[in-house]
Amino acid sequence: MTDITSDTAASRAHTESAFNRVTRWLVRHPPAVTASLIVLVCIVVGSINPDFWQMSNLFDMARSTVVRGLFALGVLVVLAAGGLDVSFTAIAAFVMYVITMLVTNYAPDMPILPILLAAGLGGAVLGSANGLLVSSLKAPSLIVTIGTQYVIRGFLLTFIGTALFMNIPAAMDAFGKLALFHHQSANGAVSTMPVYVLVLAVAIVATWLLLNRTLMGRAIYAVGGNAGIAERLGYSLRKVHVFVFAYAGLLAGIAGIMHVASNRLANPFDLAGSELEVIAAVVLGGARITGGSGTVLGTMLGVVLITLVSNVLILVGIPSTSQLAILGLFIVGAGALFSIKPRA
Amino acid sequence: MPDSVTNESRAGSAAEGTIPFLEVRDLQKRFGGVRALKGVSFKIERGRTYHLMGENGCGKSTLIKIISGAQPADGGELVINGKTVDNLDPIGALAAGIETVYQDLSLLPNLSAEENVALTRQLVAANGNLARPLDRKALRRTAVKALSAVGLPTDPYFLSTPVEQLPIATRQLIAIARAIASDAGLVIMDEPTTALTRREVDNLVRVVRGLHENGVSVLFVTHKLDECKAIGGTAIIMRDGQKITECDVTEHSKTQLGFWMTGKELDDKRYRATRHSGERLLSVQELGARNFDGVSFDVARGEVFGITGLLDSGRNELALALAGISPARRGGVSLAGSAVDLSSPARAIDAGIGYVPEDRLSEGLFLEKSIRENVVMAVLDRLRGAFGLLDGRRARALAQKTIDDLQVATPDIDNPVTSLSGGNAQRVLIGRWLTIEPKLLILHGPTVGVDVGSKDTIFRIIQRLAGEGMSVIIISDDLPELLQNCDRIMVMRKGRIADTFEAEGLDEDVLYRSMTAEDNSTENRRGDR
Repeated sequence: MTDITSDTAASRAHTESAFNRVTRWLVRHPPAVTASLIVLVCIVVGSINPDFWQMSNLFDMARSTVVRGLFALGVLVVLAAGGLDVSFTAIAAFVMYVITMLVTNYAPDMPILPILLAAGLGGAVLGSANGLLVSSLKAPSLIVTIGTQYVIRGFLLTFIGTALFMNIPAAMDAFGKLALFHHQSANGAVSTMPVYVLVLAVAIVATWLLLNRTLMGRAIYAVGGNAGIAERLGYSLRKVHVFVFAYAGLLAGIAGIMHVASNRLANPFDLAGSELEVIAAVVLGGARITGGSGTVLGTMLGVVLITLVSNVLILVGIPSTSQLAILGLFIVGAGALFSIKPRA
Repeated sequence: MPDSVTNESRAGSAAEGTIPFLEVRDLQKRFGGVRALKGVSFKIERGRTYHLMGENGCGKSTLIKIISGAQPADGGELVINGKTVDNLDPIGALAAGIETVYQDLSLLPNLSAEENVALTRQLVAANGNLARPLDRKALRRTAVKALSAVGLPTDPYFLSTPVEQLPIATRQLIAIARAIASDAGLVIMDEPTTALTRREVDNLVRVVRGLHENGVSVLFVTHKLDECKAIGGTAIIMRDGQKITECDVTEHSKTQLGFWMTGKELDDKRYRATRHSGERLLSVQELGARNFDGVSFDVARGEVFGITGLLDSGRNELALALAGISPARRGGVSLAGSAVDLSSPARAIDAGIGYVPEDRLSEGLFLEKSIRENVVMAVLDRLRGAFGLLDGRRARALAQKTIDDLQVATPDIDNPVTSLSGGNAQRVLIGRWLTIEPKLLILHGPTVGVDVGSKDTIFRIIQRLAGEGMSVIIISDDLPELLQNCDRIMVMRKGRIADTFEAEGLDEDVLYRSMTAEDNSTENRRGDR
């Protein structure tokens, strides 16, 4: 038995070309592809326009990864369990608008921490509704969340309001401006790294711990690998489904507040339409769309790559329309590479 | 290996020596109007081997599902370790020490070898509660112990390899290692040896012996009589929802066991009776690809030609090359004297080569489609009627004729293939390839997962086709099947032809030795790793 495995391994090493070996390694370590694409984009953009290498630019990037990154971590967890969630932007919009409204009208002095907690809780409640629907209807989660996305957004715009909040609560405004540190560039311009990037950092660590250091994490991958077998082995599909959608909702709720705090207004029409971009970021990070795989590191690299392409290509004079095309090519390329299966 | 398995979970039970591990009392199960189990009782003693035998549909799968907690019984009792258990669920069965290795092995393809082996133990310890930390160190410890017990590598690279990248034989052992890691008292193996060669079966037997030394019992669910006899133990024979008898499997002939299972007389006879003309049809010259090379042989018109070898011998790759699925890189193939192009499955079909794959479920049949559609699928372009549309009446007539010819048991050819048993599904697939009227039919593992009665029918069909002048190649690791059906048997080893034998009067052990020769050199090479 052992000699069968070692035989094939040995013959592989002998007969395989260098190209195949590299491909095989990349397939086993998908985030390496994403990382090399990031390096490539940085080198190309940086050598055409040295302005790229400025601290202010890095800060801008970090700022714009926060909301997308929180969403992406939620998508990763759902995707790893074999599901697909497209309702997270609707959940974020709902939570941010309702909470901004409640806090403004009833508790204008509420500090930021309870606001974030309430947002997370609200998002988790909406998300667990997704999970309950998926596990009790046994319906594909993509369809269920397309449905709930419309329901949530429709409810928000019909019954809660469509007016913009220009004056957001003081605590949220202050949190959006609070600086982690400043940097003064040679020409005297001051750029600021906002403290709210730490929210993403905490979410990254928490998601990593969840996926890699808890039984729930293994159960998520087990269910994503083959739900029928996982159930037979004693994993509760219901627990896993409700958990992953609640977790994605929780992150979406917090992301909604971060969106308000950084833009200093709450617009109920915001965030809609960015679902696919977030899912693409997670897939670019090496998660299979069919579930059962994906890492936190890869996902964050995917987010960075998407942010990079949509933020910095403008620096080298590429119009935003062709940025989309470049992004599309990256996604197709990564999709093709990750679909190469290592031979058994 | 014995010391590496702990039995703490059961060692405490005082009367362990006397109480059987599991007692099944008068188990009943109904599906709608059908009584799948009509009161089945038996005992599983500690540290022994059992074979649950019976044809498809006899109720053995239902029985296994009840014992492993996947389905509730309608009546009767399950007594585990002397205690009656109600409402058994999968986690409860695992906690009680019953580990089931289903035919698909129940492995999670995307998780690593280590996780597949050792996660269940932690899940059971947590009683299914997922809000617990994962103990990585304990995971590795458990996995290394259990994997070395079944003779698999324990290096970090192997431990972290996703199971989907491992060969099937290794996966089988991983499933067994999982049972060891979860301190099972009873390991149920549902048709465990379907995809394995004899060498792997031998290895399995060794592993089972090791389990017994630790008081672990093994229940095989099978209809492969040869393997049961090789492994030994108690046969529990079922037919039609009832236990027919219980006996020592080695003390009764295959004919007797087969009779108990089917209620019909079956024997070991050679099906191959007629001689072929000797006129050459297929000629393969110096064929080579990634996993085999320098393969040359001829097959005559009306000949049944067997090809066997271990899993890594290149026999599967050779079959795929002849079917045009993964084309050969060197050499040539000619049919009836003229060279043929086998660069795609469609070209192979055009040349008159039909290929029935080994894995019916994933490679051959469209399970949700009707029997009729499955049969005519390969000849749709020949069934064109007015305006190039499918001529439904001709298609139906062809399908019905094929189904009748092959004696597929179905009330209606519009039923989905899922409504058929394994043997009948296999006949549908063979029927599809007969519709292309092939000159050469390649059957890959024609009776994998097929019960004794259906085997008989399939063998008769093969002989009839050969009698009508069709050449048949059977690629199989079921040696009795080859000996019963073939004119000649070619053995492959390490990508080359090792031997070619006349099948008549050939001894199974000669074949087996030819397949496994040079194994010593393999053992030596292992030292290089």
